[in-house]
Amino acid sequence: MSHTVTIEQIVSKTSDLPTIPAAALKVMRETQSSSASAASVARIIVTDQALSARVLRLANSAFYGLSRKISDLPEAVVVLGMKSVKNLALVAGTYPWMKRPLTGYCLGPEEMWRHAFGCAAAAQIVARMSRKCSEDLVFTAGLLHDIGKVALSVWLENKMGAILLYAGREEISFDEAERRVLGYDHCQVGFHLATSWNLPEEICSACLYHHTPAQAAEHQSVVDCVHVGDYICSAMGFGLGGDGMLYPFDEGSLTRLGLRPEQIDAITDEFVEKFEEYEALFLEIAA
Amino acid sequence: MSTGTQLLVGMADIKVAKGPATFTCLGLGSCIGLVAFDEQADVWGMVHIMLPEAFKDKPVDKVGKFANTGIPAMIAEMEKLGANPSRMVMALAGGAQVFKFGSAASSRLDVGARNAEATLEILRGMRAKISAQDTGGSSGRTMIVKSDTGVVTVRTVHGGETELCCLRRGRRSVAA
Ligand SMILES: [Fe+2]
Ligand SMILES: [Fe+2]
Repeated sequence: MSHTVTIEQIVSKTSDLPTIPAAALKVMRETQSSSASAASVARIIVTDQALSARVLRLANSAFYGLSRKISDLPEAVVVLGMKSVKNLALVAGTYPWMKRPLTGYCLGPEEMWRHAFGCAAAAQIVARMSRKCSEDLVFTAGLLHDIGKVALSVWLENKMGAILLYAGREEISFDEAERRVLGYDHCQVGFHLATSWNLPEEICSACLYHHTPAQAAEHQSVVDCVHVGDYICSAMGFGLGGDGMLYPFDEGSLTRLGLRPEQIDAITDEFVEKFEEYEALFLEIAA
Repeated sequence: MSTGTQLLVGMADIKVAKGPATFTCLGLGSCIGLVAFDEQADVWGMVHIMLPEAFKDKPVDKVGKFANTGIPAMIAEMEKLGANPSRMVMALAGGAQVFKFGSAASSRLDVGARNAEATLEILRGMRAKISAQDTGGSSGRTMIVKSDTGVVTVRTVHGGETELCCLRRGRRSVAA
């Protein structure tokens, strides 16, 4: 089949491209750096009014249960921790476009969002159990792992139905069908996007290798956590659109993380326990 | 047309009703939607099971989450409304395998198959009458039950909406 739209064309059509607000990206980079402090993070947040308001709302939410009112941004950053602030910034920045329906993938309103957030939450639990990598980085990688789908959906909406049928008829995984029909898959598109946003390498790798973790030469632990998180949230029914199925599961991810297949139930249990509360908290602040 | 109370049976939920109601179990992947009906008492129950078995070393936060705690809990709730387990007919759907596993992969990974197996085993142990089941495969399902007609419907992305069974009289149920 002909490849009518190249990845470069997709990624360069910047006008319709999903974006992450500049302040959220800056917060993410700052929190990665060794010199980050509550004050330096607060200085970035203050440049974005909406984000400032959200950070204060979260710090004052019942979840953190503080008796006094916090009205000072650096103090709010201290209370929440830089990682929560960063996650909030990213969630708030991605929710507006992640919540949209991805008709091409048979995902209704909010379904992509629940899949992304669910994968982030599940992958974070996996990271905690494995102690092989930063939970926080894994959360972000999980949140963004399928951004390629969002981009593909924007331009190839009409074509996606055909890819879906093709995958079903040939009984191949959806990313395989994407490659056969388009010449590339949502993983590669996501990688291009993540790279063009200058996201940390770990996140770019997770976008590219989340369905083929054995191929990740670098940052494999992060990729492995996202791979397992993707399976768990899909098994629990989050964002099972037309393509939710047929992706291969690599048991090697568990082995590399030092986890046993028997632990899948415990991870799933914790995921179900935390997810709803966690999602409600973020959505209340992000919406 | 939907009639009566709209009951959304979310993750690990147990919902019961006497009289007109519509039960919806949305987005079942590896999870199981199990519906039970006592026609004489006109009492319905539904549970959204996520895992086969509660952990021995961890308190159960939501009984509906596990097959071995959720099924008895649903039946107990129905009994409070006047239902009798010996008259109940049931139907189940879900338990899909959402990712593909290699031939050497551990069977522990397939949560869907284990959920379906655990549910059926418990039902067999109770000598429950299972009218129909739609389990396994790789598709996510939504299960809808309308109490007025007794019809249980399963919806998938590719297959659309199909009637699984009717739990009201006139249809024969098979012992498990
Ligand atoms: Fe994916
Ligand atoms: Fe995914």
